[in-house]
Amino acid sequence: MVAQLRSEFVKLRSTRTNLGLLAGMIGLVLFIVLVMGFAVDQTELATREHQTAMFSLGLAGGFIAALIGVMSICSEFRHGTIRPTFVFTPKRGRVLTAKVVTSLALGTFFGLITEALAFGTGAAVLAIRGAELGLSTEKVLLTALGSTAVAALMAALGVGFGALVRNQVLAVIGLIVWFMVVENTIMSLAPDVGRFFPLAAGDAMTGIDAEELLSASAGALVLIGYVAAFFAAGTLMTLRKDVR
Amino acid sequence: MSVIHARASGLVPSRVSATGEQVIAVEHLSKRFGGVLAVDDLTFRLKRGTVTGFLGPNGAGKTTTLRMLLGLTRPTGGAALVFGMPYQEIPNPACRVGAVLEATDFHPGRSGRDHLLMLAYAADLPARRVEEVLSLVELQGSARRRVGGYSLGMRQRLGLATALLGDPELLILDEPANGLDPEGVHWLREFVRGFAAEGKTVLVSSHVLAEVAQTVDDVLIINRGKLVLASDLHDLIARAGGGVHVVAPEAARLHELMLEQGYDTRILDTHELLVRGVTTAEVGELAGGAGVNLHELSTSTSSLEDVFLELTAKEA
Repeated sequence: MVAQLRSEFVKLRSTRTNLGLLAGMIGLVLFIVLVMGFAVDQTELATREHQTAMFSLGLAGGFIAALIGVMSICSEFRHGTIRPTFVFTPKRGRVLTAKVVTSLALGTFFGLITEALAFGTGAAVLAIRGAELGLSTEKVLLTALGSTAVAALMAALGVGFGALVRNQVLAVIGLIVWFMVVENTIMSLAPDVGRFFPLAAGDAMTGIDAEELLSASAGALVLIGYVAAFFAAGTLMTLRKDVR
Repeated sequence: MSVIHARASGLVPSRVSATGEQVIAVEHLSKRFGGVLAVDDLTFRLKRGTVTGFLGPNGAGKTTTLRMLLGLTRPTGGAALVFGMPYQEIPNPACRVGAVLEATDFHPGRSGRDHLLMLAYAADLPARRVEEVLSLVELQGSARRRVGGYSLGMRQRLGLATALLGDPELLILDEPANGLDPEGVHWLREFVRGFAAEGKTVLVSSHVLAEVAQTVDDVLIINRGKLVLASDLHDLIARAGGGVHVVAPEAARLHELMLEQGYDTRILDTHELLVRGVTTAEVGELAGGAGVNLHELSTSTSSLEDVFLELTAKEA
């Protein structure tokens, strides 16, 4: 298992894919911090709800985080490296487990960097506009750590999802549709159901105060459940299905 | 052809190694994709220390068979055993089996060295081993470059380097000569011969018999997923191809002459003959003595290809 982890680590660092994803995640999250920091009036900016949403990982950050995991498996199918990978490690479960572990680690790393930058930039924006940081230290930590945990879990979820779909283009499109359309629709139509979906669970973890969301800890449990379910399904599929 | 067919069933002797295990044992292997039986009740064994050509036209089921041997594809029926067990059960298989499946199995943005390193680590091999295989395939100079910029020949060699990482005793190569220039083909041939000379085993697939005729000891020919011939290459040449190919306007007359002399001769076409057990000089002198014009006189290897085509077209 250590062998597969080292192998996965080389894969992660040896292409520009993850550098691109990190740039994308930082860029999107900072963009949202700036938009939310400058596009609202002073009163709204001072509210805790607004500031929490502004600093949390959000939809775009979560989406990029999920791509970490999706790319780790789908790019192997796309470029055919899945064949040497499985020839070298025919116990495919080990490969997927190593991918989940490295994706969790990379997601955590991405999350920490992104959140540090988001808070730095956000604090600067508040200072420029003369607004107070309305969040307690505890709340700041919850949002930052919660967002980082969401990034890690989304990355892990991406591995299972990617293993299930295999095709990179389909997986990315599927993710976009899910993030941008499906969850929003369900959430607006039936929040009682919608809050049990992965993105809503992630939002709950980042400490966003919204009546319809679960508590942070319940959100974490739900999201971990999704990670486990997708991993189990993806692994089952990978063990059963031929590699051509 | 019937002679060859008679020899086809269970011809390649199943030699058992010192440890009592088969290098490769394929038993009644079959694979169905939807309505298509890609591999149909295939049985063969591989001798240790030999190079076996796995031949058949495109779509004959070669790649599917190799992928079943390597545990990538699951058989519908039968068994594909490597060293006496399913591939998945070989402990750290990369150290016993090396495989090159497609010349395209690389991430274009990754350097050749990193490609090897990620797989070396997966097999618990030290980074030093990467440098060793790089020099073995003469790619040291390009190792830091992205594979996207490699020529097809360089990719083939990188693929081979991948297969050699674990210093395996069995090599499985799927159409390794595809896209290689003549120099590359020569290099590959030398390499494969050298590998087998160390007592190791090679299974190499091709859709062109001539491509491997100078390299292999044994041939397995499959068509439409079925084994049509398993033979020693020398037997195949002797029985089917080994002869003198003659092109003459009066081929029929020459045929009569050769028959009178007791030679094994066969009319291939109006102007073509194949004579066995004879040298080109003997045919030339005989024809010259009888005043028969010759337009071409050659030791036939293309007839080997004819046999191949005949065998593989048979059930079409």
